[in-house]
Amino acid sequence: MQTGDLLTINDLVVEYKTRRGTARGIDGVSLSLPCHTTLGIAGESGCGKSTLGRAIIRLVPYPGRITNGSIEFELDRDVNVPDKDPVRAGRYNLLDLNKDQMRALRGEQIAYIFQDPMTSLNPMLNIRKHYREVLKAHNPRIEDEVVTKRTEEVLDALGISPERMNDYPHQFSGGMRQRVMIGLGLVLRPRLLIADEPTTSLDVIVEAQILQEMARLKRDFDLTMILITHNLGVLAETADMIAIVYAGRVVELGNTITIFEDPLHPYTKALLDSVPDVRKPDRKLAWIPGAPPELTHPIPGCMFNPRCSHAMDICREIQPPLQPDKNGSQVACYLYQEAH
Amino acid sequence: MTQKLVKGVFLQVSSGTKGLPRSVLFLAGFVLIVLWIFISVAVRSNSGIGVPFVTATVGFGFAVMLIPAVLRFWSLKSSREQQAAPTVSNTQDGQHGIVNRLLFGSKIPLAILTALVLALVVQGLASVFVPEHGPTLPLRLVGAGIAIYLILTLVVDWYPRLHVRGSPGLLVTVGLAIVLSMLYMTLASEFIVPYDPFTLEVGRSLEPPSLQFPLGTTFLGQDLLSRVLAGGATMIQVAALSVVVCFSIGVPLGLMASYQGGAADRIVSLVMDSLFAFPGLVLAIAISAILGPGVVNMALAIAVVYIPSYFRVVRSQVLTIKELPYVEAAVVMGARNREILSSYILPNVLPSAIVVLSINFADAVLTAAGLTFVGLGLPIDVADWGWDLTFGWEQLLSQKWWVITFPGLMIVFLALGFTLVGEGFNEILTPKLKE
Repeated sequence: MQTGDLLTINDLVVEYKTRRGTARGIDGVSLSLPCHTTLGIAGESGCGKSTLGRAIIRLVPYPGRITNGSIEFELDRDVNVPDKDPVRAGRYNLLDLNKDQMRALRGEQIAYIFQDPMTSLNPMLNIRKHYREVLKAHNPRIEDEVVTKRTEEVLDALGISPERMNDYPHQFSGGMRQRVMIGLGLVLRPRLLIADEPTTSLDVIVEAQILQEMARLKRDFDLTMILITHNLGVLAETADMIAIVYAGRVVELGNTITIFEDPLHPYTKALLDSVPDVRKPDRKLAWIPGAPPELTHPIPGCMFNPRCSHAMDICREIQPPLQPDKNGSQVACYLYQEAH
Repeated sequence: MTQKLVKGVFLQVSSGTKGLPRSVLFLAGFVLIVLWIFISVAVRSNSGIGVPFVTATVGFGFAVMLIPAVLRFWSLKSSREQQAAPTVSNTQDGQHGIVNRLLFGSKIPLAILTALVLALVVQGLASVFVPEHGPTLPLRLVGAGIAIYLILTLVVDWYPRLHVRGSPGLLVTVGLAIVLSMLYMTLASEFIVPYDPFTLEVGRSLEPPSLQFPLGTTFLGQDLLSRVLAGGATMIQVAALSVVVCFSIGVPLGLMASYQGGAADRIVSLVMDSLFAFPGLVLAIAISAILGPGVVNMALAIAVVYIPSYFRVVRSQVLTIKELPYVEAAVVMGARNREILSSYILPNVLPSAIVVLSINFADAVLTAAGLTFVGLGLPIDVADWGWDLTFGWEQLLSQKWWVITFPGLMIVFLALGFTLVGEGFNEILTPKLKE
């Protein structure tokens, strides 16, 4: 792994212990994320996109647990831990930090934006108080005037007039609420923003606005972003790199243009073919037969082999490793690996 | 004429500049009517100082309210003069500002100060003019005066602020006005009752309402009006105390246990559910039989019975709320458990807890009456609505309706007052119900 990356994930495994057995929600994912890039994570429902995002902030929902791997994160400044010693700048494995240190890092260095802005704001607090809570959690001695000033700045940057900061969440529209949420994520000037389907519950016009806003903010705030979505169109707009995830594994990783122009993995191809295109109404919409395998009973070899039209014998026996291809992407498929 | 007079007096102390809304005049009218009732009762008081007492309390209330306003006016004038002087360094100015804000910015510290000074004056005057009443007179006078002060502030200061919130504001104001009037009545009762409420046979047994006995007499020949005026003391004490105890145990317990989850939640829930399984009144009787009679014991007995109802309401709410995205969002932003409990979960639970509180208050009043009924509450020579209710039941069968009606009405009014306050606060505290 080259240094200089903001985030390096190495062989991460997240397991869900359920009554029907142990399911590997994330199965040996390795990624590295250079500063100031946007990584899109795409895949169908239940493939482990959100689990991956949650694992980075170490908030995998119960009964999930991170059982293996490392998540290295570059701190460029000291982070205050209330009532404790600060975390010095440097490179850390997030899995080694204790609870208080991790809590101090959330929001301050890594921000997370949820899917549903309608319920992600506390109905009993007005917007200013939301910002105050966030700022106070990381700096208990912060003055109210400073809070007001920071809130004004952030709201202004997001195109919400600062006079509205004494309003309550129910007085805002969905798009504005999502902006308020994004602002909450950005008010502490984090370096990494993880957006978990930030535009899914919004209509297309607002979606476009928010995406543009986020692209601008990424520039203004020097952000590195992880964008989790099932909407490939959104990724085409915003992401620099795309990781296609299937059944807890990264099957293809490459920069956006290459993925769209020259998809390699059969799953990526199928995924792109299943996106409707307005310009070609005659085209028959492709779909992928079958369903993803049960994660509690993993099949040997490539997870995609039962649904793959190119499946070979080796695909049913040995799991293909993620290897670079000549077009620049990395792909986990035996079709592109010469010697085996 | 009266309207103008009222308006004139109130305008002097109102914080608003545009004059008063019409509803404030209605409230002022309500206060005047209540005062008129008290004075007309006090005219025939057996202590002989009824009218001076009422007048003095009203004077006290107005003084507590007016003196801070006058002082503030004066300090504003002097600070305006100060502005002409060259400004001192920034830090000193800041300190000066804080002192100023503490002393003159908020009315409450000033009002307390004024009340203390006036209380000392009252103490001195009382020991000179009416020494035969001993230390209770100044104490009651100050207490009742503060009740009047609170009513006046409610009308002049709080209501215009609550008024913006629409009908919930009116509910709260009316509820508080009822409760405070009851409080005043209880505090003043000793000096304005026409007969001693404990003396037997001031008239014939079970006389119907007449001029001499406006509400009739009881079976023992006591004057019912005096008993109704004086009988609220124990009720209010018992109910208020038990509600405070209940609320301050049940709500935090429910919050912490259910937020923590796991074994803590299961154990506390088990204890609460087994308490809840008992019939309320039977449990209260058992506890007060162990503790013995008395106001505090009665309050404790009632509190134990009603803690589970808070616990259960709070618990069910916390279980829903702690799974909501905004709590999760707070975790993601790095909030600590303490902060999540205090600013994300508690405010969302509070409205339901307050509704339970207002219902609980009415229940506590009735349970207190029930405990008195079975002889576990209070000694028989105490004037208490519960007692009169108990005995009045038998007289109702022989068509002597007044013995049970008037104490019952008072309990209804008291419970109504608290319910209105609770209901109004519920709506005011929930921003979404505002519109």
